[in-house]
Amino acid sequence: MSLESQAAVYLERLWGEPVAIENLSRIPGGASRETYRFDARVGGRLRTLILRRDPSGSLIDTDRRTEFMAYRTAHGRLPVPEAIALEPQGAELERPFFLMERIDGGVVASPFAPQPFGDHAKAIGEAFFRSLGELAAIDPVGTPLGDLLPSPAPEDCWRIALDHWAKVIDTDEAHPQPIVRAAIRRLRRSPPPPAQAVRIVHGDYRSGNLMHDGAGKILAILDWEMAHLGDPIEDLGWAFDPIWNHGEPSAVCGMIPQARAIAIWEAASGLRVDPAAMRWWALFNAVKGQAIWTSAAREYRDTGCTDPILGISGWYTARRHDEIIAAMLQRFGDPA
Amino acid sequence: MTPTLPEILRGNFIALATPATPEMAGDFMGARIGVIGMLNFLAAQEAERGTSAAILENRAIAALLASATGYDITVPAASDDLLPTALDSQNAALRRALIALHTAAEDRRDTALDTRILALYIIMAEGRKLVLPSSPPPQ
Repeated sequence: MSLESQAAVYLERLWGEPVAIENLSRIPGGASRETYRFDARVGGRLRTLILRRDPSGSLIDTDRRTEFMAYRTAHGRLPVPEAIALEPQGAELERPFFLMERIDGGVVASPFAPQPFGDHAKAIGEAFFRSLGELAAIDPVGTPLGDLLPSPAPEDCWRIALDHWAKVIDTDEAHPQPIVRAAIRRLRRSPPPPAQAVRIVHGDYRSGNLMHDGAGKILAILDWEMAHLGDPIEDLGWAFDPIWNHGEPSAVCGMIPQARAIAIWEAASGLRVDPAAMRWWALFNAVKGQAIWTSAAREYRDTGCTDPILGISGWYTARRHDEIIAAMLQRFGDPA
Repeated sequence: MTPTLPEILRGNFIALATPATPEMAGDFMGARIGVIGMLNFLAAQEAERGTSAAILENRAIAALLASATGYDITVPAASDDLLPTALDSQNAALRRALIALHTAAEDRRDTALDTRILALYIIMAEGRKLVLPSSPPPQ
């Protein structure tokens, strides 16, 4: 049975009336889930939808329930599409998936594109870091994601995050990586201050995970699959990583200067950015990136080297992050 | 190093030779071919200078290990085999020894050696650097 037919059968069961599926096509992006767009005609109404389905191989091992609940939590607070249904066992579609509403008419930047926001970089940058600050202002207690995930103690956020990604490297590394190993040791020896507050961390907040209208407005913040509870400075460290700056060292995410992004985030979150915390989370995020690329390289080889997204992630971005980490280590401080 | 140049190029061939499903047509396939093109562009760089970069990195690590006389680190034996697989194998042994040396230097708070190793990391990363094409693939 085709995916189109499977989706029709599933939705008929879900909605209790006949459904016709139209215009189903796979769309790029999201190396850890297969992403499809389609229209569903039901009861004389057209519903525009996105299907996110687990692939046989993936860039990041994440729980789709976490991503689903993150969308549910953020919807209505941030520009985020509404999550509609989750099927952890796959139901008629055979592999785990979830459905959400589709937002049309937007553009998603390639991480490799120079100046992807053109004249609208300032407006998008200000909105982007304001939204991140608004996310950091949310008390996760009582939210769908807060009810699902354990809340770490403020002083444990860094250790939990570092242990997780160091373990990923331990598990997936095929060739010794002295640069990232040195960074991991340095991070352990110089912990950051405890989190000011434990908040929802998007986990992959960067220029390629927003959809904009081409005229300076953000339509959607996407890809919540690495969402978790932790130190909200973590998201800033990821967004500030030079790998996402589109070749513009003076503009985070190719948008606005870092100092401006921090000022906007602080105003929206009610929290402040401790430079010592920022320094630690910046290096941590470079390590996290290298862990993701290490997994990508393993997945690429394990699946016959046929997924070019995994190939570019495990190769180009891994080498780029070696450059970034080596430079950060020069500035991070003594090993003690 | 992983993935290797032969893996990238063989993978690209298989990816292009494998028939697409109907739902992959359009934006998805356009983006996929763009990324395959980018991989080929980077593969050309690796073919041009990947072997010399590996040789230079191996020499630089071996020289640093040999200079750290106060540490109980064994410098892996040098090899004359210039096949990429042999260079990779040699590189893995050297990198493992470098990790052990750096960890020992940190434990002793040997800031002079630490500084030299951090400088070597810059050279290693620069030597392996891949440069993206100026035009991005389609999205």
